[in-house]
Amino acid sequence: MGVLSSNPAPIELEAKAGKNRGSETFQGPVVDVERISLEFTKEKDQLPVLADVSLTASQNQFISITGPSGCGKSSLLRIIAGLHKATSGTVKFKGTEITEPRGEIAMIFQNFVLLPWRTALENVMFALSAKRELSEDEKRERATNMLDHVGLKGFENVFPGELSGGMKQRVGIARALALEPEVLLMDEPFSSLDDLTAGLLRKEVYSLLINPSSSIQAVIMVSHNVEEVVELSDKVVILSQRPAHVVGAMDINLPRPRDRKSPEFYTWMDKIYSLLA
Amino acid sequence: MFIALLLSILFSLIVGIVAARNKRAEAIIVPMLDVFQSIPILGFFPIVILGVIAIIPSQIGVDLSVILLIFTSLAWNITFGVYEAVKSIPQDYIELSLMPDVGSWRRITNLYIPASISRIAYNTETSWAVGLFYLISSEILTLGKSSYTVTHGIGVAIITFASANDWTGYTYSIISLLVAVVIWQFIFLREFALWSERYKFVEEPRGVRQDPLMRFYSWMTHKSISKLFLYSHSRGVTKFSSTLYRFKDGIKYSIVILLAIFIAFELGASWNLNIGFPTQIPTIAKIVSTEKNVIIALAYSFVRIWYVYFFCVIVGVPLGIGVALNSKLYNGLTPVIETIASVPAPALLPAIALVTHQGELVAAIIIFLGMIWYIVFNVMAGIRSLPAELFELKSVFHISRVRAWLDIYLPAAATAFVSGSIVAIGAAWNTLIVAEFFIVSGNTPLTQVQAGIGKTIALATNQGDLLSLTLAVLSMTALIVTFNLVVWRRVYHYTTKRYAYNR
Repeated sequence: MGVLSSNPAPIELEAKAGKNRGSETFQGPVVDVERISLEFTKEKDQLPVLADVSLTASQNQFISITGPSGCGKSSLLRIIAGLHKATSGTVKFKGTEITEPRGEIAMIFQNFVLLPWRTALENVMFALSAKRELSEDEKRERATNMLDHVGLKGFENVFPGELSGGMKQRVGIARALALEPEVLLMDEPFSSLDDLTAGLLRKEVYSLLINPSSSIQAVIMVSHNVEEVVELSDKVVILSQRPAHVVGAMDINLPRPRDRKSPEFYTWMDKIYSLLA
Repeated sequence: MFIALLLSILFSLIVGIVAARNKRAEAIIVPMLDVFQSIPILGFFPIVILGVIAIIPSQIGVDLSVILLIFTSLAWNITFGVYEAVKSIPQDYIELSLMPDVGSWRRITNLYIPASISRIAYNTETSWAVGLFYLISSEILTLGKSSYTVTHGIGVAIITFASANDWTGYTYSIISLLVAVVIWQFIFLREFALWSERYKFVEEPRGVRQDPLMRFYSWMTHKSISKLFLYSHSRGVTKFSSTLYRFKDGIKYSIVILLAIFIAFELGASWNLNIGFPTQIPTIAKIVSTEKNVIIALAYSFVRIWYVYFFCVIVGVPLGIGVALNSKLYNGLTPVIETIASVPAPALLPAIALVTHQGELVAAIIIFLGMIWYIVFNVMAGIRSLPAELFELKSVFHISRVRAWLDIYLPAAATAFVSGSIVAIGAAWNTLIVAEFFIVSGNTPLTQVQAGIGKTIALATNQGDLLSLTLAVLSMTALIVTFNLVVWRRVYHYTTKRYAYNR
């Protein structure tokens, strides 16, 4: 058939094209969060959740947002995604304000959110359903390649119910990548997995997302797990208790791949913990 | 009705605790409760009332049988609640209570009863609407037999006004019924439920904030009606019962119970001449010819229920999903829908009959009203219990509205829809008795269909035709039980396997 051997190449080309297109036309930050505030109204009381949060994600940066539970990290991510509206402030994607979910921004969810009534392949194809320019066959081909890419070759026709947690999240990753997004948002992507599975997936995920052939220009991850933040991020933004404001932002300049047992790693974890406490 | 409620709670506490703590009692009580829950109570009511009157031939007998009916509509639910509550007391507590100086009385009052309180509250809430339906229906039904009627009650008032063509009075009684329902549902029961919260062992991760009536419909579905047929992953139910729930055993069991009821009533009627029943056991030929009529009537009703069900699905599923998806709509509309839904369909029958004299149409409307809420509320509860992330998929991946309905909402509602349908169809059989034939004492029927099992039952009750009555009720029960076992059980298992949303 020759299908298998010829497949990866076009994807690479397409992805590169996408990346170049982006970097040529826009030089500033990929995502620019400017003074976001969020208030919930609960029985006439104003409940401030986010207070004046700003951050930027530059080209090829992996950003983590961390903070105490319930501080509004996920709300912030959803504002960036265009799913929620902020009370004040703006989020810009390459200079344009984000007012609704955009095709260039994909998301990976804490609880995977796969459709249980669709196979792994159909779940990935489902995300492509809005891509009118692709034929049904092209969607299938791209979805198959993506599943292969995340290490799920042979599991195309398996229902999510029969997959392990780690494999489900791999489908979630494939689904997001299939869209060839420029920005990838991840909401606690490893916290529904057991430690061992999470550790293995974390090891792969950085190179899966940020590599020369990837379309992704920035990753923003929300996580309360300091270890995974240090392991993955180029930059970490630390939020306070509610109402959350930025208490610190640091560039983690450890070389990759990072050794979780090295003293430098621990120093970084301590730095973050001291800001969290 | 309060008498019935108190009786039910007392009964439930005793039977529920015994069933939960004693293996042998459990083996008998749980399957019995299952059978009692799945039979159309209203269908049995005429038999019950004739039976009770046969023993106590006076006004008290009639009132007693109404109480008995409401009791039966409440008791099984609450008993299951107590049973499951006591069953699910954490083992540590049980062990603590088995310490030597804790007597069994103290164990009951200090552990079993408090543990059951939240479930009793919950189930009272949910059973109440059922009780109300039966209350109205039974009061209306007894009127058919002119010599024995309940003299006071809202159902009586509604029908008396209607038959006297007093539509102002009728409207007022419907409004006062509504007011009573609202007060009860939204003030008393809510407080009761809130108070009982503190008796919970653990927070139940339900995820949905549901209002009483909505909770009633969805809860009703999951816990009460179809245990016998649907229980596969039983939490509180023992191994014994799960073997019992297998197809063949279920059939065998039901047949035995049905036969027992049949014989008991035939015998009961035979020795009692008071109400003019045949003293001899009817001949085989007579049974066969009666049964033939009954089967034809059943066929009519079966078709009737299913075409009305079809309309319920068309209206109920989009309505349920649509309301559940929109939080503003959901918060605003739910109390309204709940209030409308809490008016028992039979109470509206005179008004509907006034508008149209087409018996078939009246029956369809009543059945529709009796079914639709189960579907609407179940679908609503099903959708609301799903994680918000699932609905974010639509926006994040720019899924079109049509695809979102086809690929997300409808499949997501499937399990709740199927369980809602099972109960809805069950409820429809109950409404038949009023929907298909409705007579106000002495007058010509206000509405009637050409043929139907509800009509057969109502007519037989009126004429004291015990043979038709028993055969009709038993055949109807047999059909429902068989259909549940053969069709619904499979559909249910298929949908829960394929469409249940669990990460």
